[in-house]
Amino acid sequence: MRAKISMRFLHRFVIAFVLSLMAGGLPAFAAETEPVDTGEVVGQVVSSHDVVAPGQEFYVAVSTVINDHWHTYWANPGDSGEPFDVSFELPSELSAGDIIWPLPKPIPTGPIVNYGFEGSPLFPVHFKVSDTARAGDVLEIKGLVYYLVCYDICVPEEFEFNLPITVGEPVTDNRWAANIRIAINDAPAASDLRATMRLDNETLVVDVLTRDAVSNPYLFPYKPSLNNPSAPQSFAIGERGVQMSLEPGFVLDNGFKGDEQFLLTYDSIVDGQAVRAGHIITAQPGAALDIGAAAMPASVEGGASMTVLTALIGAFLGGLVLNLMPCVFPVISMKALSFARHAHDERSAIRAQGWLYTAGVIATFMLLTIVLLALKAGGTQIGWGFQLQEPWLVGLLALLVFAIGLNLIGAFEFGTGLQNVGGGLAAKEGAMGAFFTGALAVVVATPCTAPFMAGAVGFALAQPAIVTIIVFLALAIGFAAPFLLLSYSPALLAKLPKPGAWMERLKEILAFPMFGAAIWLIWVLSLQGGQSGLLKILMAMLLLGFAIWLMQRGKLWKIVGALAVLGAIALPFTIATASVTTALNLDAKLPKLEWSDAKVQALRAEGRPVFVDFTAAWCVTCKVNELGALADGKVVQAFNDTNTAFLVADWTNRNDAIATELAKYGRSGVPLYLYFAPDNKSVKGDILPQILTVNMLLKTLEGS
Amino acid sequence: MKMTRKTALMLTATAALAFAAPAMAEVTTNTAAPDFTAVDSNGISHSLSDFKGKTVVLEWTNHECPYVVRHYKDGNMQGTQEATKSTLNDDVVWLSVVSSAPGNQGYVTPAQANQVKADKGSNATAVLLDPTGELGRLYGAKTTPHMYVVDPDGTLSYQGAIDDKPRGESSSATNYVKMAAVEMAAGQAVSNPQTTPYGCGVKY
Repeated sequence: MRAKISMRFLHRFVIAFVLSLMAGGLPAFAAETEPVDTGEVVGQVVSSHDVVAPGQEFYVAVSTVINDHWHTYWANPGDSGEPFDVSFELPSELSAGDIIWPLPKPIPTGPIVNYGFEGSPLFPVHFKVSDTARAGDVLEIKGLVYYLVCYDICVPEEFEFNLPITVGEPVTDNRWAANIRIAINDAPAASDLRATMRLDNETLVVDVLTRDAVSNPYLFPYKPSLNNPSAPQSFAIGERGVQMSLEPGFVLDNGFKGDEQFLLTYDSIVDGQAVRAGHIITAQPGAALDIGAAAMPASVEGGASMTVLTALIGAFLGGLVLNLMPCVFPVISMKALSFARHAHDERSAIRAQGWLYTAGVIATFMLLTIVLLALKAGGTQIGWGFQLQEPWLVGLLALLVFAIGLNLIGAFEFGTGLQNVGGGLAAKEGAMGAFFTGALAVVVATPCTAPFMAGAVGFALAQPAIVTIIVFLALAIGFAAPFLLLSYSPALLAKLPKPGAWMERLKEILAFPMFGAAIWLIWVLSLQGGQSGLLKILMAMLLLGFAIWLMQRGKLWKIVGALAVLGAIALPFTIATASVTTALNLDAKLPKLEWSDAKVQALRAEGRPVFVDFTAAWCVTCKVNELGALADGKVVQAFNDTNTAFLVADWTNRNDAIATELAKYGRSGVPLYLYFAPDNKSVKGDILPQILTVNMLLKTLEGS
Repeated sequence: MKMTRKTALMLTATAALAFAAPAMAEVTTNTAAPDFTAVDSNGISHSLSDFKGKTVVLEWTNHECPYVVRHYKDGNMQGTQEATKSTLNDDVVWLSVVSSAPGNQGYVTPAQANQVKADKGSNATAVLLDPTGELGRLYGAKTTPHMYVVDPDGTLSYQGAIDDKPRGESSSATNYVKMAAVEMAAGQAVSNPQTTPYGCGVKY
C-alpha cells in the first residue's frame, strides 16, 4: 500500500513539474512595463496590444495602485494639488490622444476639497499607428508619468518608462485589453444631455436634463476656479433632470465667457445594482431648464442608504423567514406539537401559550441585543452570530440540543405529570414550556442569517443603541408572529388533528432533527476546538446521557446524576480554541486562499479578479452556498477560466480584522460575498446576494 | 413608506455635502483687503492697518511642503522678495503666514519659525503664526504657497499662485508677484489680478 501511494505521488509530481516548466515559457514581449514603486504608488504602463498593424488604433494605459488613504488628482484637482499627468515621447509612426479620465470623487481634508482618485485608477490613452509603419519595426513608447500623491502630506512622484511595441499581425494582450476596455466603458463619456448655467444671487446654478433616475449627484467643473470646491453643493432632483447649485469661483467674477464643460456624477440603478456613473456635459449660459416636478431619488440598496423604517421592515420579514431555517426547524416543530396537543383545549389557554412563547422570544432577543451592545461599547469587534464564536457556548448548546433530543425520544420526561400525553397538562407546566421554547428557538436561530436580515442587522448595529434595540424587537416580533397568529386563529387550530397515539410517534421522530442539530454543533466545535475539543464534547454528551439515566433511579443516584450533569456542563468550558481550519475545500481544482486585506491588494495589483467568501463554520447559509452554487462544476470552471482568485475569510472564531472588514460594507454577520472586478478602481468590492446561484455567479465572473 | 420618502426627498432637496470645518471666505480682488491682527514668531503683534502706505505681500507657507521647499531651494522665493522690494523702493512688507494646525505638517513654534526662516535664507519682514487657521480662512488661503499683494491704500491687487509653472521650470516662468509689483510701480492696473494657486493644501 505504501509503495503504491508514493508511486502515485511521484507521478503527480512529475506532471506538475513539467506543466510548470511549460508555463514558465512566457511570450518574449508582454505588453507592459515593469511595475515601479515610486513611494506611495506602484505604477506601470501597459498596452492593449503586444503587436500592432500599420494604421491600427489601440490603447496604452497607465495603471496605478495607490496606497490606502492616499489620493491622486483629476483634470481639475480642486482647491490644491496637481492633475495626474503622462507625457509621451513618440516615434513618428505613433500618435496619442488625451487621457481618458476615470470617475473622480470629492476628497475633503479639513476645509480644503480636492477632486481625485483613490485605490487603483487606470488611465487609458488612445493611440494610432500611422500607415507608414513597417512590419518588424519596434516602436518605443517612451515618456514620463507624473502625479502628486497626497494624504495628510503631499509627495510629487514620477517615473520614466519605455514600452516597446512591435509592428506586424495584431496580437492582443488579453488581460490588459479587457481591463482597458472596462476602464473606458466605466469612464465618464461626453453626452448630449442638455444643460444650462446661470449666476443667480451669487450662486452658480446648472440645470441638466438627465435620462436616468438620479440620486446623490455631484458636479465637477473641468476648469479650475470656475467654482469654489470647498463650498458645499446643493441639488434638487426633478422627474426630468437635476438642478445643481455651486459657489462660483473667481473665474466667473465677470460673468460667463462661453460654454463650460462639467462632469455630472450620480448614483443610479443598473440591472438591479447600484452604480455611480458620470456624464460629461456642456452647459450653455442661459435660462433655467424645466427639470420637472420634484422626484424621488433612486433608492440605492446598501447599508449606507437604508432608513430606520426599511431596516424595521427588513428585520420583521427576516424574523418571519427565520422560522423556516434549518437550525430553527426542530425547535419549532416541538412547539407545533405542543399546539396540536392543546388545540382542543380552552381558547384562552392557547392564546396564553402564544403570548408566553412570544414573550420568551422577545426576552431572549433583547437579552442578546443588550449583551451585543455592551460588548460593542467595550470595544470588542463582534457581530451577529457572536454567540457561536465561543466554543463553550457551542458546547453548551450542543448538550442542550442533545438533551432535548433524548427527551423527545423518550429517554426521560420533565416532571411526573407528563405521562399522560392526551390531556390535563398543568397550565403552569405549559406556561413554562412555552416561554422556554421561545427562548430556545431564538438561541438556536442566531447562526442562521435569513435573507433580509443581514442588511437590517448590519445597519442596526451601526446606529445608536435605541435604533439597534427597536430593529431587533422587530426581528423578534417577526420571528414569533406565526405562532402568535396560530394561537389566535380558531380556523387553523381546528384543522389540527385531535390528540392521540400518533403524537407519541411524532414526538419520537422529531428527536432526530434535534440529534441532527447536535451533530452539526459538534462539527462546528471540532473546527473550533480541534480534535481535543471533539473528544471533550463527545465525553460530555456521554456523561449527560449517563446522568439522565441515573436520575431516574433512586434518590441517592439522583445526586450522583446531578453531579454528572454538572460535570458534563463543565467540559465545554475546557475547550480551547484551536487554530481554525479553513472552510470546506471540496474542490482540489479550485484553490482557496486565506483572506487578508494585503492579499486582496496584491492580487488586484496583478490585475486578477478577486472573489472573497466571508464564512463561518456555524453559518448554515454559508455552508449551503459552499456546497451548492460555489461547488458547481461550471462555476469552478469559470473561476479557473477568468483566473479569479478565491479568498476565504473564516469567522468561525473571533477575528478583529474580519469584523472590521465586514463593518466597512455595513455588515456585522456572515455570509458576505465580495467580487472585485479587474476594472474596479475603488477600494471597495461589489457585494453579491446572500443566496448564490450558479447563473448569477457565472454572470459575475464572466461578465454580462 | 410614502411619508418617509417625502421626508427623504425634502432632505435631499436641501442637502449639502456638509464638511465639519468652518467655512472659508473668498476675498474679491480690487476690493479692500480684510484687516487682521496676528502675532509673529517674535511675539510682536501686527495688524494690516499698521502698514498703510506700504505694499504688503502675504505668503502662505509650510516649510515641509515640496512646492515651498523647491521655491526656497531654487532661490525663487527669496528672489521674488528681493525683486519686489527693489521695484517698489523698499516700501514693501513681506509677511510669511503659517496656518498649519498643531500636529499637522508645517506647524512651527515661534523658535522653530525663526530657525526655519534663517535656514531658508528668507528675507520676510515677519513670520505670522496662525495655528488656529483664522487668518487663513479669512483670506481663503488654500495652498502653500498662496500669494496676496495688498497695495499701499489697502486694496487687494493680486491673489493666487506665485507663478505659472507648478512643476518648477522657474527660469521660464511668469512670476505673477513680480509682474504685479512692476505694474503697480508704473501706476498701471495689475493685468493678472487673480490666478488659481498651486501647491499643497494648507494643513488647517
